[in-house]
Amino acid sequence: MAELNFEKKESLLVIKLDGYIDSANAGEVENKINDIRAANPSDKIEIDCEKLKYISSAGLRIVLRIKKAVCDTSIINVSPEVYEIFDMTGFTEMMDVRKAFRVISVEGCEVIGQGANGKVYRIDPDTIVKVYLNPDSLPEIERERELARTAFVLGIPTAIPYDVVRIENGGFGSVFELLNAKSFAKLLINGEKSVDEIATMSVDLLKLIHGTVVKEGSMPDMKEVAIGWVKFLKDYLPEDVYAKLEKLVTDIPADLHMMHGDYHIKNVMLQNGEVLLIDMDTLCHGNPVFELASMFNAYYGYCELEPEQIEDFLGITFETANELWQKMLSLYLGTEDKKALEAVENKAKIIGYTRIMRRTIRRKGFETESGRAVIENAKKHIIDLLAVTDSLTF
Amino acid sequence: MTIDAKRNGTEVVIKVVGRVDSVTAPDFEKAVNENIEGAESLVFDFENLDYISSAGLRVLLMSQKKANANSCKMKLINVNETVNEILEVTGFLTILSIE
Repeated sequence: MAELNFEKKESLLVIKLDGYIDSANAGEVENKINDIRAANPSDKIEIDCEKLKYISSAGLRIVLRIKKAVCDTSIINVSPEVYEIFDMTGFTEMMDVRKAFRVISVEGCEVIGQGANGKVYRIDPDTIVKVYLNPDSLPEIERERELARTAFVLGIPTAIPYDVVRIENGGFGSVFELLNAKSFAKLLINGEKSVDEIATMSVDLLKLIHGTVVKEGSMPDMKEVAIGWVKFLKDYLPEDVYAKLEKLVTDIPADLHMMHGDYHIKNVMLQNGEVLLIDMDTLCHGNPVFELASMFNAYYGYCELEPEQIEDFLGITFETANELWQKMLSLYLGTEDKKALEAVENKAKIIGYTRIMRRTIRRKGFETESGRAVIENAKKHIIDLLAVTDSLTF
Repeated sequence: MTIDAKRNGTEVVIKVVGRVDSVTAPDFEKAVNENIEGAESLVFDFENLDYISSAGLRVLLMSQKKANANSCKMKLINVNETVNEILEVTGFLTILSIE
C-alpha cells in the first residue's frame, strides 16, 4: 500500500486502509497511522475498510493497538471477505465491525409508492426498497430499521426489515418485505370494515404492543421526551399550572412496555386477516397514557379547530375519527362507564395538548392568527384539565 | 407449501416444503399447534423451504415461545442459504437454534 488516506471530522478521525496488509508492510502502515494520529488527536476513530482486500494477523494487531489507545474505535465498510477474517478472529465480538452496504440498482424497477423523502420500488416479488434521496438520512434510516428489527424479534407483527443498501445512482435505501395489505384507513373509507371492526382490531394489536417489554436503552423513553415538552412550556404557562404539570408528568412511573408513538389507521394494515404495524420510527417505551395522548391528538387534538383537515390526514370525517377514538378508548379500558372513560381521556388530553402547544410555538405559531388560536386553545385545556386532575396514570 | 409432520413418541419433526408466506402461514401454524402438545423435541426440517415471510417467522417465534414454556427443545435443521440470510438479517439467528 502506497498511501494512507484519512479524514478528520470534528472529534472523529477516519483512517482509510487500502489493499493488502500483511507482515511485509504492517510496520510501515502502523508508522503512518501513528503519524496521522499524532497530528490529529481524536477520541473517536473509524477504520474504513472499503478498499481493504486482505488483512493478516500483523494487521489485526495494529487494529488492536488502536482500539487499546482509543476505546471508541470501530471498523466500517468491510467487504464480505474481510468481514470473515474479523469474524473468525473474534474481532466482531470485541468491537463494532460494520459490513459495507450492499449496492443495488433500482433501474427498471416498478415504483409502488412515493413519499416526501423518496420513492418506494419493488425489487423482486417479495421485497421493496424505500429509497431516500438525501444522503444525510443514513443515520435516520438505520435508526428506524434497528427499531423495527427490535420490535419484530419481540413478536410485533410487521414487515421484515431487511438490510440498508446503497443505491447505484446515489442515496441509500431500506429494504423491507413486500406486504400485500390494505391500511385500516383504506378499509374504513372503502366501507370494507366498520368502525367497530377497525376499533376492535386496533385495540387488539395495541394491547399486544403495550404488553411487550423492551430492553432498557433499546428504544427511546417516552417519559423523557414528554418532560422535554413540558419544560419547553415553562415561560408560556402560569407558574402554578406549570409546576403541577411538571410534577404530574415526572410522577408517571418508569415503564419498559413498548408503545408505537404514532398509532393511527394509516399505520396499521390488514393482510390476509393478519393485522400488521408499519412506520416504526416512532417506537419507544413508556406508560400507556403517552400512547393514548398521541392517539387523542391524531383523532381529535390536531384538528380540533379545523376539523376538515382530518380528511387530508386520515381520509375520514372528524365525526368518524371521534367515534373511532371513543370506541377504542372504551375497548382498551374495558369499560363503557362514561365517567371512567372521561377521567382517563382527560389525562391523555393533558399530555396531548402539552405536545400541541409546544409544537405550535416551535413552528412560529405566535406569528399567525390560526397559530395563536391553537396555542390559546391548548393552554386553556391544560389549565382547565389540570384543575380537575391529580394524577396522569390510570 | 406442503407440510409433513411426523411424531415419534415425544419427538416431532415438521418438514416444510415450498414457500411459507401470509397465505400459507396459517396452515404452518396449525401444524405446529397440533403437534407441540406433549412434545419434548420439536425439529423443523427446512431442507426444501424456499422462502419464509414475516408471517412464517412469527409462527417460528410463537413456536419457540411455546416450546420454552413446555421445556421442549426446538431446533431448525437443513436451513438453506436464502432462508439463513432471512434469519440472519432479521436477528432470528440469535433467538432460534439451528443445526
